Amino acid sequence: MNIEKKLQELQKRVNYARDILGRETRPELDAFSREIAGFPDRTRDFSEDQAIRAVESLDTRLSAMESAIDAQLTAMDKVRIVRHPQRACLKDILENVYDNYTEIGGQDEHSIDPGMLIARAYITRHRGKKVINQPVMVVGQEKGHGEEFRNGGSIKPWGNSKALKYMKVAAREQIPIHAYVNTPGSYPVEDFPGAAQQIAENIYEMAGLPVPIVAIFSEGGSGGAEAIGMADKRLMLSHGYYSVISPEGAAAIEGHVRGSQRAPAELIEACAVSQRITAQDNLENGYIDAIIQEPPLGVRADHFDFYKRVREQVIRATDEVALGVRGVRLFRALAMRHFKKHEDIIVRWSLNEKARERLVARRFRKYRRMAQSAYQDNRSLLEKLYATSTGIVSNTTGIVLYGLIKPFRQRIERLVEEVTDEVHVITGRVNGFLRKGLKKMGLLQNGDRQKEMELTGLSDPAPVNGGIEADTGYVSPQALEDREVTCPHAAKRGCLDIWARDLFTDFAGVCPHCGYNFPMEYQWYLHNVFDEGSVREFNRDIASGNPTGFPNFDSRIEAAKKKTGLQSSCLTFNATLEGLRVTCATLVANFRGGSVGAAEGEKFIRALELAGAKHQPFLAYIHGTAGIRIQEGVNGLIQMPRVTMAVRRYIEEGGLYIVLYDTNSYAGPVASFLGCSPYQYAVRSSRLGFAGPGVIKETTGMEIPPNYHNSFKALSRGHIQGVWSRTDIRKNLHQAFLTIGGRNLYYR
Amino acid sequence: MSIDGNKVLIANRGEIAIRIMEACADLGLPFVALYTKEDAESGHIDAARRLGGDDSLYRIHNYLDAGDILSVADESGATAIHPGYGFFSENYRFARRVTQRDRPMTFIGPSWEVIRDLGDKINTKRLARALDVPTVPGSDRAIYDELEAESIAESLFEFQAKMGINRPVVLVKASAGGGGMGIDEVEDMARFRQTYRRIRNYSLRTFNDEGVLIEQRVFNFNHLEVQIASDRSGINPVHFGTRNCSVQSPGLQKRIEVAPGFRPENLHYGFDAAKLLDDITGYSLSIAREIKYDNVGTWEWIVTPQGDPFLMEVNTRIQVENGVSACIAKVRGDTDVNLVREQIRIGLGEPLGYTQDDVTFDGVSIEYRIIAEDTDNGFTPWVGKIEELGWTGREWLSLHTHVPTDRAYQIPTEYDPNLALAIIWGKDLAEAKARGLDFLNDLKMNGRDSSGASMRSNIPFLVKKTENLLEF
Repeated sequence: MNIEKKLQELQKRVNYARDILGRETRPELDAFSREIAGFPDRTRDFSEDQAIRAVESLDTRLSAMESAIDAQLTAMDKVRIVRHPQRACLKDILENVYDNYTEIGGQDEHSIDPGMLIARAYITRHRGKKVINQPVMVVGQEKGHGEEFRNGGSIKPWGNSKALKYMKVAAREQIPIHAYVNTPGSYPVEDFPGAAQQIAENIYEMAGLPVPIVAIFSEGGSGGAEAIGMADKRLMLSHGYYSVISPEGAAAIEGHVRGSQRAPAELIEACAVSQRITAQDNLENGYIDAIIQEPPLGVRADHFDFYKRVREQVIRATDEVALGVRGVRLFRALAMRHFKKHEDIIVRWSLNEKARERLVARRFRKYRRMAQSAYQDNRSLLEKLYATSTGIVSNTTGIVLYGLIKPFRQRIERLVEEVTDEVHVITGRVNGFLRKGLKKMGLLQNGDRQKEMELTGLSDPAPVNGGIEADTGYVSPQALEDREVTCPHAAKRGCLDIWARDLFTDFAGVCPHCGYNFPMEYQWYLHNVFDEGSVREFNRDIASGNPTGFPNFDSRIEAAKKKTGLQSSCLTFNATLEGLRVTCATLVANFRGGSVGAAEGEKFIRALELAGAKHQPFLAYIHGTAGIRIQEGVNGLIQMPRVTMAVRRYIEEGGLYIVLYDTNSYAGPVASFLGCSPYQYAVRSSRLGFAGPGVIKETTGMEIPPNYHNSFKALSRGHIQGVWSRTDIRKNLHQAFLTIGGRNLYYR
Repeated sequence: MSIDGNKVLIANRGEIAIRIMEACADLGLPFVALYTKEDAESGHIDAARRLGGDDSLYRIHNYLDAGDILSVADESGATAIHPGYGFFSENYRFARRVTQRDRPMTFIGPSWEVIRDLGDKINTKRLARALDVPTVPGSDRAIYDELEAESIAESLFEFQAKMGINRPVVLVKASAGGGGMGIDEVEDMARFRQTYRRIRNYSLRTFNDEGVLIEQRVFNFNHLEVQIASDRSGINPVHFGTRNCSVQSPGLQKRIEVAPGFRPENLHYGFDAAKLLDDITGYSLSIAREIKYDNVGTWEWIVTPQGDPFLMEVNTRIQVENGVSACIAKVRGDTDVNLVREQIRIGLGEPLGYTQDDVTFDGVSIEYRIIAEDTDNGFTPWVGKIEELGWTGREWLSLHTHVPTDRAYQIPTEYDPNLALAIIWGKDLAEAKARGLDFLNDLKMNGRDSSGASMRSNIPFLVKKTENLLEF
């Protein structure tokens, strides 16, 4: 044994332990470090055997110490472990877990995004003498061991696009996907395809991939994690974290830290704990399915037993997914029982047509069931019963109306149309002949008198005066002040100041000179976009709560409820628009910035389900959203895949899903269930994107231009499909429903 | 109700500002006058100094900056705002703002609802039709559907042919347009669709609205006006006779106005002119009653050569030519009629105090608008310095001008080019015309522009047009 090398190794382990403990110092580690330093002096007289024994005892003591520290690790220590450059990276895993692999789409820094690593890998299993090679597609964020070009596993939009491309390849080749999530978050640039858009597309597409997906979370940072993390089985390394935002980011928001300042360390620690980000917390909440145990103080590159565990658990998870949807129900249950008891079983990973359908349906159910305890359902038992019964009734009527009667009616209508066409031709001829004859005889009077009346008299007796200004029944509080408003473009475009009462009533908050849209309250839309008095709210009693027990948050959420009179930032309702029935969900900016938590996600999903059952088009009107509600932690984050799944289901059933952004819309929702819509529109002067200017500056160091997120920029990047002035919303929406919705309006 | 204690802010310039000041002085009301940097030489400033003192003058940046004007009103303690004509006079939002702000004031003009409802030409037309008042044949609402537009145009052609018009023409105009923008005429159905689409697309681009109006094009018409005054109760409107404003520049700006509108006593017409004048005043009063009109206003009519009147629009303000109507009117035999004064009085809430029977008319009055422009050369405005302006005072003449007579005056390019209004009275048409020519020949007006060329004015044009006044 090379004693010197061994000593260096021990010293390295001590240093590592000190690193992950952060500011906190441990006297025993310092003492141990001194002991290593003094070791050559102390053992100068030792024989080689003695020296080796002494080193081995040091090793044992250090291991014991590591285990002791490991038992006391805080959430923030785990964050430091995950980010440590010595932590095992995806390359290590590929080398050690899989039997053979080929890296696809890049080599080291020569790649469209070196942070995203794709590989085709083999797992070789033996049954007796028979060798079974099972191919998988490995997708994952590669941090390397601190290499600059890996960008810390922060994936650019085109990296996510690459991942999606190869996941689709896997679907075509019918091989399972193993996704290794190890990212602090997505790289928040809007360059095409755009961070938010690409993540949304990834989630949307993954929701329907007909192959088993197993995700292994090491560092699961927000949207970047969701971009490849929507899986049938989610495993998590025991020292990993999975969170909606990094603890530093949460602390910066909580502590209202701006610019280059840093949030205080205590606050960061507190945020890490209260967001419930560790593997154990997530398992308890049901957001992951199993934990892969790491060696004390986290896995580093040379912990070879760990790779063995990963291999076993990953294979077993993939087996379980494949087995769970295979064959006839009865046999499946038997096989599952056998599988649970025995380790030796080898499952084929390719699936037949039916099994693929079951797989996707199962995935939907899995996510639909998540986060059910994270919101408050304030309905009484009676109301719940009533809701369930009406739900059953409307579902059944939906099936009868659209499944049975509609095709039948369509067939009859087509027949009638054909017949009448032919009849028309005949009657037309006869009629023309008759009229000609009558005219010749001078019997047929022309309708001159009536025509004249149309030209000189009142065309229809509709309201004569007062019909100019529609009484909308809603007056914005901004219109009550006697003050002048200066358009932000006044200097550039020479707009005159506008009296607030004119601006927020007659002009609908739009500058009459340059067309700038001032922000308006969401109530304005309820009264002006939809038919007057047609808005019927539902699921009002599903309320936002504080599922993580985040400190001081209960009072703040109650304050928001009191201020807005809403129970959550999501308002769901049925309404009509020019007589057209639509289901609508909004995110209201006044309620905690329009952030999305478990209640909002649940309401959104229920609204989508209702729209599906009633065969109505769906409008997501986003008055404003700041992203996922960070205080709810993963309860909020999980709404991204959850709601996207519901959206996918609705769209695949034939629904028309239109998104309309107003004011500011950023982050999670835009990067998932909103961004996945093929029809997204924005109100002029709104801003939308993935991360705000402050976050972009912080994470990328780029100074972005002031109009980086404005609606026209988003339009030119292809994020949205149109920019509307507020005064035209009603007209344009109606037009969109008619033209996109197709002949039978609601459903293609 | 007493109007004492009011203070009137005059949100206008030039000749009308002077007339409002004089009216205020007549009524014994204090006033506040405004001027801008470009207008610092205007005669209305002298008048303000003379009639209201130095304290009554405030300088603002722009006659159209509502915030600026209202802060002057607050500072000076004004209780009412007189918008004059132009600028804010027909802006219902301004009128509403004046009356609804935290320190409300009186808007000397109709109530804002009336300005809004009559300011919309389509709405006015529908209102007229509901009361069986004749309007130009055609659609009375914006047409959005191509087939509907075509059928209306088709019946319009048929209708005109039946009425005996040998060259029927249909107008297509953008319903949101105005001032001659987005308007075109069609002479036969074959071209209609093409024109319709062009106007529709223009309207969509410019006004973001596809609505189009389709109307008969009326040729060789006379332009008549009915002057109405009504107090705040809105139930007893009184008319001050008719005016004929058919002498216009090619840009459709009036140059000569004559009251009354026709003169069947002196001239022969191809239709019953006396009945026509009665008809249009009656129609105008019926609309005023219906909408509860509550200030002075003008109903504009066009009269075809066949003698058919059509209501064009309602101007909810005092007009430039209010003086001609006042000139021939007597109230209970009193010739001192001043419509601006009446407007302020009823605007501030005083009842009218007389009925239609008290208003009588006598003689003919002509108003000339004296403008520096080159009438031989497409009516291009002349800009320069007026060095001399002089006329002989007569009892049958009143002249309103904001051009100072004691010093040279540089015509500002920012505002309308009216220099002076001359109002002449005669006991019949022949006498009025003779006196008008007398005045025009007597008027001395000289000036030079920056290149030294002598001044051009429209006096020769006015002389030429005086010949055939009121003939049709």
